[in-house]
This record gives sequence, C-alpha cells and structure tokens, in this order.
Amino acid sequence: MRIYLDHNAGAPLRHEAGEALRQWISLGGCGNPSSIHHAGQAARRELERAREQIAGLIEAPPRTVVFTSGGTESNNLAILGALETRRPRRRILSSTVEHSSILGPLHKLEQQVFDIVQFGCVWNGFVDAAEVIGALTPDTALVTLGLANSETGTIQDFSGVGDAARHAGALYHVDAAQAGGRIPLTVKDLDCDLITLSGHKLGALAGSGALYVRPGISFPGQLLGGPQEAGRRAGTPNLSGAIAFGAAADCCRTSLHAEMERLSFLSKRLLDQLCGSITGLRLNGSAGRRLPNTLNLTFPSVAGETLLIALDLEGIEASMGSACAAGAVEPSHVLLAMGRSEAEARSSLRISLGWSTSAAEIEAAAAVIARVWRRLAAPQSDAGAH
Amino acid sequence: MGPRVVVAMSGGVDSSVAAALLSEQGYDVIGIAMRLAADTPSSSARRRGTCCSHEDFEDARRVAERLRFPFYVVDLRSAFSAGVVADFVGEYLAGRTPNPCVVCNREIKFSRLWERAAALNADFVATGHYARIEADACGRFRLLRAVDYAKDQSYFLFNLTQEQLRRTLFPLGSMTKDAVRVRARALGLATADKPESQEICFVPDGDYASFVERSAAPQALRPGNIVDDDGLRLARHEGVHRFTVGQRRGLGVAAAEPLYVRKIDPFSGDVVVSGRARLTSAGLLASRVNLIPPMRSDAGFAAQVKIRYRHPALPASVKMTGSDCAEVRFENGGPAVTPGQACVFYDSDEVLGGGIIERAIEL
Repeated sequence: MRIYLDHNAGAPLRHEAGEALRQWISLGGCGNPSSIHHAGQAARRELERAREQIAGLIEAPPRTVVFTSGGTESNNLAILGALETRRPRRRILSSTVEHSSILGPLHKLEQQVFDIVQFGCVWNGFVDAAEVIGALTPDTALVTLGLANSETGTIQDFSGVGDAARHAGALYHVDAAQAGGRIPLTVKDLDCDLITLSGHKLGALAGSGALYVRPGISFPGQLLGGPQEAGRRAGTPNLSGAIAFGAAADCCRTSLHAEMERLSFLSKRLLDQLCGSITGLRLNGSAGRRLPNTLNLTFPSVAGETLLIALDLEGIEASMGSACAAGAVEPSHVLLAMGRSEAEARSSLRISLGWSTSAAEIEAAAAVIARVWRRLAAPQSDAGAH
Repeated sequence: MGPRVVVAMSGGVDSSVAAALLSEQGYDVIGIAMRLAADTPSSSARRRGTCCSHEDFEDARRVAERLRFPFYVVDLRSAFSAGVVADFVGEYLAGRTPNPCVVCNREIKFSRLWERAAALNADFVATGHYARIEADACGRFRLLRAVDYAKDQSYFLFNLTQEQLRRTLFPLGSMTKDAVRVRARALGLATADKPESQEICFVPDGDYASFVERSAAPQALRPGNIVDDDGLRLARHEGVHRFTVGQRRGLGVAAAEPLYVRKIDPFSGDVVVSGRARLTSAGLLASRVNLIPPMRSDAGFAAQVKIRYRHPALPASVKMTGSDCAEVRFENGGPAVTPGQACVFYDSDEVLGGGIIERAIEL
C-alpha cells in the first residue's frame, strides 16, 4: 500500500491529462507549432487549445499566457523581465516566505545593484500587505509575492497591493504555483500584472508551467532566440507538456468547487484524527485561510526526518521542508520565518492532498501516522543508550 | 522478509558490497547515507572520493536502486560537527593528534545512526568495516580482526560494547578487498573501481593545520618554540596544532642528524625535538578505555598493543588503573607514543579493548 500525500511537490498525472497525451501521441505526436504545413498547424491548434484552457483557469484572455518550463522559470522570467521593462528602477519588494525560485533570483540581484526588501511574516505565516504598500517608492520596479504558501498552504490577503503598485508604476507579480487550480483565481481579483502557474502541481507533467502577462505590458523575453510566445519565451514550446497542462487545468476549473469541498473535508478529517491520537500536535500556518489540501504539522517528541523515513517505509509519502542537493531534508525556511525554532521546524511535516487522494486513504494514513508517531515518540528501551 | 538492517552507505565500494551481501542473504535492507560535513559547491569537486559528496550519495542511491532496497540520506551534520569536528580541532589545539574515525564510530555510527535505525524498527546496523564479530557459546560477542589483515579496521572499533556488537553486522570481515571488488564488479555496482578514500573525510585536502586554523578562534592557537632536549630554542613555530609526535618533516630546523618531534607542551607551546634514538617510551597511560570481553580489572593482562593504525602490535602488559583508565607497559620498550591516538589491545586476532593515549611513560 502506497499513499501519496505530497501533491504540493507534484501531483500524479491526472487521467484526463494522460488521455489528452495519449490522443496526441496516437496521432503521431508530430509537428512544430511554428511550421506552416499541416502537421505544424495541427500542433499549433493543440498548443493554442491548451493556452485557452490554462487562460480559462484564471479567466484571462488566451494570448496573455506564456508557456514556460515550470514554476521556477515563470518566477525567474517574471522577475528578470519586470526589472528590464522598469529600468532604471532598482527596488524589489517581496517576502522571506517565498519559494526558492523567487528567493534565488532575489539573492543574486541583491549582490548586484538592486535594492531588495523582503518582509517577514507573523506567527501564522501572513505577510502584511499594508507594509508592502508602505514600502512602494518611485524607484520600485516590482512587487513579487506568493499567494498560497507551498509549505503551510496559508493564503495571503494582498488586497490593495495591485492598486498601490500600479500607482507607483511598479509591476506586481503573484506566484500562484500552489494556488492555481486549487482555489478560485481570476486576473480581475488578483489585480496584478504577472501570475506564475505550474503544471505538475495540478496533475500535469513536470516541465510545464505558464506565466500570465497582463495585456499592454511590454515584456521582454529572457530566453532569447526565435519569436515563439510573442518573443517572450524563445524556443519550440513543450507541446506534450502544454497539452497535459491544458487538460489538467480544464479539469481543475470544472471541478474546482466540488474538489475544494472534498479536500477540505478530507484534510480536516485527517487533522481531527491525528489531533485525537497525538497530544500536542500543532497545525502550522493559518487555520482559516489555507489551501484546502495542505496540512503542515509539528509532531511533538520526534525528529521529522526520522518520522518521514519511517512513514515512507510504511507506505505514507509526505515531505518536510526542502531536500538539499544530496537528498537530505532541511528545516523549512518558511517555518523558521514564522518564528518556529529550528527544532520545531525539524519536527514538522507537510502533508498535501490532491485529486488522487481518497477517503479510504485518509483513514488509513491517519491510523499509520498515529501508530508510527507513537512508536517513535515512546522512549526506547534499548536504543541509543551509549 | 528477514531481520531489518540499516546499512551505513557512503557510496564507496565497501559499504555498497556490504549492503548487497545482506540483501542477497535475505535481510530487509535499508540503506542510509549520513550527511556529515557541510558541502559547498566549490568544494564538491575536491570532495570527490571522500564520503560526503553529492556524487557519492548518488553512487549509493544507484546501488540501492539496482538492488531494490530503500535508501535515504540523513542529516547528521550538527552531531558530527559537535561530536567529531570540535573534538578534532580541540585535540590539535591541545597539542595532541586525534583519530576522528574512532570518534565518529563512537559518536555517530554506533550511536546516532543506531538511534535512527532503532526508530525504523531495525534489528541491526551494518557497515562496510573490515572486522569480524563472533558470538561465543555463552552468548558473549567477540570483536576480531578482519581476515584481510591489510584492510583490517578493528583498530577503529575498540569502543564497541557487548550491546553494540550484538546488533552490529560487518559483512566484509571475512573477505579480502580483492574479493570485495570482484563481488562489486559481478554485481555491476557503479562503485566497483572507485579509489579508496584515505584522507579524513572532512579535510579532503589533507591539510589539517589549515583546517584547524580555519575552525578555531585565532586566540586559541598556541604558537611557541621548537626546542631541543636541553630546552635550547631552535626556532619559532606558529602553533602546536601543526605538529604531531614522531613527525620529522616540516620542522624548519637544520641539524646534523634527522630530528623528530618527541613531545608537545600545549601550555608553554614548546615542541621538543630529538634524534631518533630518544624516540622511545616504556609505555603509556590511556583514558576512555573500553574492554570488550569481561576482564578482571584488578589484575593486569598481557596483550599486543597497537598505538597507531598502521603500526605493528607490540607485546605489552595492560593494567586498569581506574574504571576507564589503563597503564600499558611495553615488554621490550616502544616507540614514541602520540597522545590523542588510539591504543588498542589485541589477543592474537581478538580485540580486547582500547583507549585514547594520554601520555607516554618515559624510559
């Protein structure tokens, strides 16, 4: 028995996405969308249909969607493209609880001439929008913020930021890699210039992502070459990735509310079960404004790394912080930013549900997690006494 | 499935074959690589061949994938830094020459790793050490030299207790290194022809002095004089951590006969050098002594004592002078002893125990 509870790292391929891929492959999988012949035109139709499907997820016009290789590229493209188009502005506003694909570029830019301001968060993971708005200056090129936190699922309230950024002449980028397809998102509500979406978080293939670019922004590409994606991203697009992404986005859109309700119920059920059997279990992040699929839990009296491995050996697949290049787990920088101690962060696991998660799996997982935790938390009679 | 065993895997040929053998024998193998030293991108190329580079973890992972057992990397950096690296630096600053492999076995592999293994319901921990464990008729465990004397690593394992021996497996103890390599090739292991790691894993360039200088507070370094047997000053030096007893090269002193470090005084900073003839000792005092078989502690016992990994064992008598202190007297006199190194007591192939050398008993 394997129970996959790590959808925030990457969801299993949705049946609908797999079916769309199979159809495309059965037709030969041939053609470059830029070619003028029949095969090229067929490929182009597929690509544009996928674009419409993804645009539909955020209620955006299709031509605003730029295909990328994933959330990381979208975030990099958003940041570097915004800086180029807002030259010579040098200030970037962000937070300390962002994904590494935002923190990485910001760290590098900070070593150059840029002025990076990163706001922290309060105990439950919220970044203060008023603080961000207050830091906007005529020199601000970009505000880049994650909507739903990948590790805790906390959904930020950034109302007012879009309006304020526009008045300051800055671009406003929202990283919705985790929120996309999981909660209702519209470009109108987000009121921003750039949105990052990720394919495999919602059940498409890894290696597919998208960046929404608001119409009317001149947005230079960073990957240079051919004129694909209206010059905003050179290179033959990853067509199979886009097809699966489009099909998965369509699924998410049509089942969004039912799925939110179902996953809320299941994650609450899991949390209730675990709270009942694990004294001192703590939910990290906001209890109310949270992705319906995400639970970040601090387990008392155990090392998260050992719990994670023991659970994997019992068939439960969860995660903790992020993995280093060597494959060891590191404590979550998000939990540390929320004021948790390193020891607490090292005792915390992220459990993320998704389309493939069944009620039976949640019942089984609750029992296994409680049992494994009890075993690990119990004082061991003969171990480690030396 | 057989008993569960956690195999400490470094990515090297020995631990890979150890894991493979146990897997073939029907054990429920879980491979675990320990992340011990911080790894920076600039150092990763240099680190190749030591035990903590990403490439080595990937080699270990490939072995696990090929043999279809689960594999994980665990983060023991803080324990390693506090328990092994800090000891290493502190010992050098105190004018001693530490043996970090001994400390790592004591503080990490047979304690922290065992805790992790127990949490995973493991019955045993296994490593690729060349040494043997045998149970006698009374259920007591004996630690023995490896069959391959050239590879024997029992010297580093004298700290093991009966309880630890009971739940430890050394699958390579009865094999030669050549046989292990043949086995690795037959198994198609990626690591079959990897070079041996010789250096201390967290000082891949072998420059211990620079490592100590980088790790220690500047005021902790102890410069002083190089002096001769009469206390006559021959030269200045930049710190006692740059010397080890028995060292000949790099003294920066010209003399008619070759000079060796005979003694290091961390308080005065004096490094005493002598001609070869004076590099002798009658015996040594050892601390942190562990005895593996039950021994009468009041009476002395005869043993062959190794005072360095690569030295031959010398006949000696060992007498416990406290609960974990021992006095060792060489039967025919011995060479200069190096405080900080391990001294290990053998009875033929059996490891009776050992300790850390505190100081020499002079002739």
